[in-house]
Amino acid sequence: MDTSQAFDALADPVRREILAVLADHEECSAGELSAHVSRVGRTAVSSHLRILRAAGLVTERRAGRFRYYAVDHSGAGQEVIRHLQGLFQSSLDAVRAAVEEPMSSARPDRSRAG
Amino acid sequence: MGGVALRAEQQVDATPSVVYDLFGAGTGAGWVFDAVCDRVEPGASVSIRAPLGGPDPSPVELLGRLSRVRRPHLLEIRHEQPWRGHVRLHLDRAGTGTRVRLVAELDERGVAWLLRRHGHPVRDAVPAGSHRVGLLTTKSGPGGVFAVAAENAAELAREEIDGEGGVLGRPLHLAVGDDATDPATGVSEARRLVRAGCRTILVSTTSATFVAVSAALAGTGVLLVHTLMNEGGIDGPLRVQLGERPTDQLATATGPMMARTGGRRWFLAGNDYLWPHRCHAAAREVIPAAGGLLVGERFAPIGTRDFSPLVEAVAASGADLVLSTFVGADAVAFERQCHAMGLRDRTRTLSLAMDESTLAYVGSAAAAGISGVSGYFQDLPTSGNEDLVRRYRAAYGPWAPPLSTLSESVYEALRMYVAAVRHAGEDDPYSIAREMRTAQFELPRGTVTLDGTGAVAQRLYLADAAASTFRVSFPG
Repeated sequence: MDTSQAFDALADPVRREILAVLADHEECSAGELSAHVSRVGRTAVSSHLRILRAAGLVTERRAGRFRYYAVDHSGAGQEVIRHLQGLFQSSLDAVRAAVEEPMSSARPDRSRAG
Repeated sequence: MGGVALRAEQQVDATPSVVYDLFGAGTGAGWVFDAVCDRVEPGASVSIRAPLGGPDPSPVELLGRLSRVRRPHLLEIRHEQPWRGHVRLHLDRAGTGTRVRLVAELDERGVAWLLRRHGHPVRDAVPAGSHRVGLLTTKSGPGGVFAVAAENAAELAREEIDGEGGVLGRPLHLAVGDDATDPATGVSEARRLVRAGCRTILVSTTSATFVAVSAALAGTGVLLVHTLMNEGGIDGPLRVQLGERPTDQLATATGPMMARTGGRRWFLAGNDYLWPHRCHAAAREVIPAAGGLLVGERFAPIGTRDFSPLVEAVAASGADLVLSTFVGADAVAFERQCHAMGLRDRTRTLSLAMDESTLAYVGSAAAAGISGVSGYFQDLPTSGNEDLVRRYRAAYGPWAPPLSTLSESVYEALRMYVAAVRHAGEDDPYSIAREMRTAQFELPRGTVTLDGTGAVAQRLYLADAAASTFRVSFPG
């Protein structure tokens, strides 16, 4: 799972709404979620849930014929930590580039890593 | 989850001294080394524009101070915004070059802030049986500069209140939201605080956010307390606006500013939202009545970074006094550009929202010639304030950001709120608001009186910038 996958998943307003509902309810079945997320149908909710699971943002628990969903805080937390670590690394890569390409340091517009 | 340490490393083909000197030099050596600071020495204010990403693509400022430096081997930044932590840079000779190692701390609050920034909902862990109060403040965007110490101030009050036995026998829980200097974000954060069980929210943001939150939470039974300076005018049984009013600030400062400088030609300049507009409307009454002349007026949207056209307009107007109603990072950029463009030779500035926190980022060179006016300054020599500053430093250390009227008012608001709850003897927002709206409080800044009409009576002081902080000059 790469960093952009989680952020792409969060870019969709329906998926953000699903996460907001889950955040308020600990755990929901797909049916309960559909009842709260009124702007799309049940099939669409299921496919959004697949994307959220693939991105590590939501966990699934099976109990008999039912599936229950919850926010996966550890997965998302790991994502933002990895993302920030990557940003710090790229800032040091830019130090190396600035030293090795002295011409670039003369630019009035500062480069922005990341 | 506790804190984590993020590590990055790179080999650079230059000596440690050469690499060290890139820090703060603005040479395009990456976003960490391109930190903005006037001096590379302990205590110097630092802001680092971090490209954190998320739905809002603009960079986020890590705001803090240099806490340790040892040329050419160590640079340590203690930052307070948007979360508290240290970023350490170790530079060691390796072969003919330098091994650069970066260690950054990220605590639980930092992770929660980053998750929300990226649109991921985070459930607040609220201790069972606690009395919950929300703090809606500004941890990112242009307003992050003035609110650097707000959360510290609230946390200090909370610890003291819990030490006294809490609120009606229950421990106080503070839930914190970040409006990102944006009213719509402020509304969604305020709603989150309400969902977390807060029936009172202290709001230490611009009035643009307070007004939006007040409208959005109308009829929800939530008490909103605007802690810092504002234009007033939001009435209702569940609304309390503390802080300085523009007319009172101008009445205190206008006469002395003209008497001390001999100038009387005023230019009004500020951010384009409600509070600056109301300040200028008050100035159009107060300044002519005090014998001054108005020679120009300009507004710029919040988030403006290039003020050169505006500074040129001030210079062309022949003004000798500037009334600035810019806030946060805009006030910093405006004052630095006024200084750089030579305006200080001809003008002095009265800046209504300039506080010690903002002034620290203006820097000592550009700060000379700025005056502020408010009910609190960190060096106010009252015994209540000297005690408060001592407790604040004991709790947060020598490099904690300065207290100012914009952050100390959060400490006082929480104190006033809890005094009102204890007086009401019950946990009902209407009763608490009634106790707060008509009351007299003895606070670190002195006596503050609310008469039930929305007016706030307190003594105001004029102060002059000196070496990047304010020195109070008592009005006669």
